[in-house]
Amino acid sequence: MTPAQVCIAGTGIVCALGRDTDQIMAALADGQSGLRLLTRFEVPHIPALPAGQSPGLVHDPDLPATHQLARMAADQAMSDCALAPDAIVLGVTTGGMATTEDLLKRRCSSPEAYRHHGIGTVAEDLARRYHCKGPVFTVSTACSSGSGAIALAMAMIRNGRYQRVLAGGVDSLCRLTYYGFKSLQLIDPQGCRPLDKDRRGMSVAEGAGMLLLEAQTRKTDAIQVLGAGLSCDAHHPAQPHPEGLGALVAMQAALRDAGLSIKDIDYINLHGTGTTDNDRSETMAINSLFKHSPPPLSSIKGAIGHCLAASGAIEAVVAACCIEHGMIPANTGCQVPDPLLNITPVDRPVRRALQSVLSNSFGFGGNNAAVIIGRASHHGSLVPPPAGSLHPPPLTLLGWSALTGAGFTDQTIENMSNGIGCHGRLETDRICQGLPPGVVRRLKRLSQMALSLFVQTQTSDAGLKPTSVFFGTGWGSLSETNDFLKGLFDSDEKFSSPTDFIGSVHNAPAGQIALMARATGANLTLSGGNYSFEQALFCAQLMTADDEPVVVLGADETHDMLSPLFDPSATAEPVISDGGGALILKRTHDPVGPRVALKYFATDFEKLPDSREMIEQLGGAEAIRSTYGLILAGLPAAQKDGCRQQLERFVKLSGYAGELIDYRNLTGEFATSAAVATVFAASLVKNNQIPMQTNQAPVIDPHAKSVLILGLGSALTAIEVCPA
Amino acid sequence: MTESILLDELKTKVIEVLNLMDVNSGDIDPDEQLVGGRLGIDSIDVLELVIMMEKDYHLTIDNKELGAQVFGSLRTMAQFIRENSKESAN
Repeated sequence: MTPAQVCIAGTGIVCALGRDTDQIMAALADGQSGLRLLTRFEVPHIPALPAGQSPGLVHDPDLPATHQLARMAADQAMSDCALAPDAIVLGVTTGGMATTEDLLKRRCSSPEAYRHHGIGTVAEDLARRYHCKGPVFTVSTACSSGSGAIALAMAMIRNGRYQRVLAGGVDSLCRLTYYGFKSLQLIDPQGCRPLDKDRRGMSVAEGAGMLLLEAQTRKTDAIQVLGAGLSCDAHHPAQPHPEGLGALVAMQAALRDAGLSIKDIDYINLHGTGTTDNDRSETMAINSLFKHSPPPLSSIKGAIGHCLAASGAIEAVVAACCIEHGMIPANTGCQVPDPLLNITPVDRPVRRALQSVLSNSFGFGGNNAAVIIGRASHHGSLVPPPAGSLHPPPLTLLGWSALTGAGFTDQTIENMSNGIGCHGRLETDRICQGLPPGVVRRLKRLSQMALSLFVQTQTSDAGLKPTSVFFGTGWGSLSETNDFLKGLFDSDEKFSSPTDFIGSVHNAPAGQIALMARATGANLTLSGGNYSFEQALFCAQLMTADDEPVVVLGADETHDMLSPLFDPSATAEPVISDGGGALILKRTHDPVGPRVALKYFATDFEKLPDSREMIEQLGGAEAIRSTYGLILAGLPAAQKDGCRQQLERFVKLSGYAGELIDYRNLTGEFATSAAVATVFAASLVKNNQIPMQTNQAPVIDPHAKSVLILGLGSALTAIEVCPA
Repeated sequence: MTESILLDELKTKVIEVLNLMDVNSGDIDPDEQLVGGRLGIDSIDVLELVIMMEKDYHLTIDNKELGAQVFGSLRTMAQFIRENSKESAN
């Protein structure tokens, strides 16, 4: 099967230069800058720093700025599309943070007021708006989130199952990012000056970029996403590799993916944040890849600022518009290019025909992404990108680990096997046992848990060292988020901790695992409440190459202060719990252990999704009855009644009469409890411990039985763990 | 405050602020290199120490050159505090 081309059928942007694509492109063609002194919120004690503030935002306690920006850009991208998208993939790092900060400052204790906090709620809002019932994913890899979202959307379309995906990135200004980058001394008081000899940092900004991506199998001259490349520095939690090695690998991967060579690239849209380190490492990588003779290049961050999770998506839209209009934007803000960089950016807007544009985005955690936008006609004669099969071989489970209130893997599995709960939260000392003190000293609970889970998967067996990391977390690093904001507010916004800021990003734990494992492949963190682990598994399933071990994990910390405000399920039980699970997986045609596959993923944020379609996707009622010896069902407490009805309907329609366990009764309530359920299933399948169906004659060998892990609620998901 | 008292105070603060869990205050030599040395302190830790200096000693360190000088060792930190602190006279 020839993989579909990924055409850009609609675009939208909003940023400091305007609230629609035409306005912003006109401003870029005119060399304007939208950076102004920050007015969005008051900054006591010190003069406000320049920032990129988007027009058109209103103060609305019912809709945070990030959600408003996403709607503005997405409405543009969807304006010519009457159909619902098959999936939505957004890059987000702040979600409802700006609103949450206001609420925390005035000590609001009503969970209802915080309902838009989760970074996944932005994509969910768009799903409601455009009636999307498919996967609704949120990529959170800090400043490369938008590009990571495009890379994932692209893989989904090439895979063949999704024809129309709304992809993009969005972030609004908030105190966390403004003071966070300030605490790292990464904000230029004169405004962002990319590649300038006197550059002192970025300008924090906000905005959204959206692309409606459509599968196209016929030859077309439409502008497309031609390729994407992901990599991880595995060097430092916040600083880029000094020689830009990870950036180089991401650009090379994007070229390979697009079937292009360096001479095919007509313009490079730089990440170009204006920080000393980024600009140095990025230009080193470019000079290395393009042999000191790169095509014209510029960063638009001196014009719009650094829109964080939105930046990659905004820049992808700008790249598409530059190709359409035949224009290269200026490297605004730079007066005298730094001679040490050995690179000369475009100093004023230039008219020039373009076929292919390379756009870079790099984030904390060393999470790098490069995308190539261009016309297909340009690469017709070159090697087509690798085809994602509709039915790739499942992933084989090589190793696993779990962490719950009961303890680590063995204790958790033993408890669950005996129907004993694993409630509670494991003590920090036990989580950190065996972790290097020099590493742990800067980590708080979620990163400690993730690292501990990873270390436990590394048994003496060879071949378990992953090259890529796929991490799902419902709520991210709550301890760092809380401590950063508490320090800030307690000091009347004078002091905030740079360490807590770096640790507060959702992808911090995955970056730590990459550092420890030296995993330089794709490093993706996904988030969306109770279906975060399933998102990570979905990604791994799409993006794992043959014979390349990867780690897929889901983990959440439950925080005394913040969890009761954010996660309505977390405090539903008398004992609050947290934990996670990790899997080492490899795509292999010769399985040596149990196999795992995410078989179904649908959503409905208007009413709970019905299970009929899922039953069909699982092969029908008879197949379900004969295949599964055990169903582990996840019914989040906050939606318990609706989930029960969903489950009853599934049982009725499928006629399933086997063993059925409500696994949250055993794991405790936390967003990524499905990861623990999957580890439990893996252990049962490996040890042939699947209970036999008692009320009917067994139709197949009970030892061949598989386990189905159902996720219920607004997202309906099915993970299958089957014998080798 | 004498230099040795100030040095002991700084040892405790550095261990606490940077959460150097496996280090005792007696283990740090006042003249040993702080950044990039045995203690595993890097530029992010330096930024935490910048905040500590501002919070606890009301001293601002707002450029890299000065930072490199001040955070060379515990002794250079102590010197900077003694030379610049208004209430340092003893």
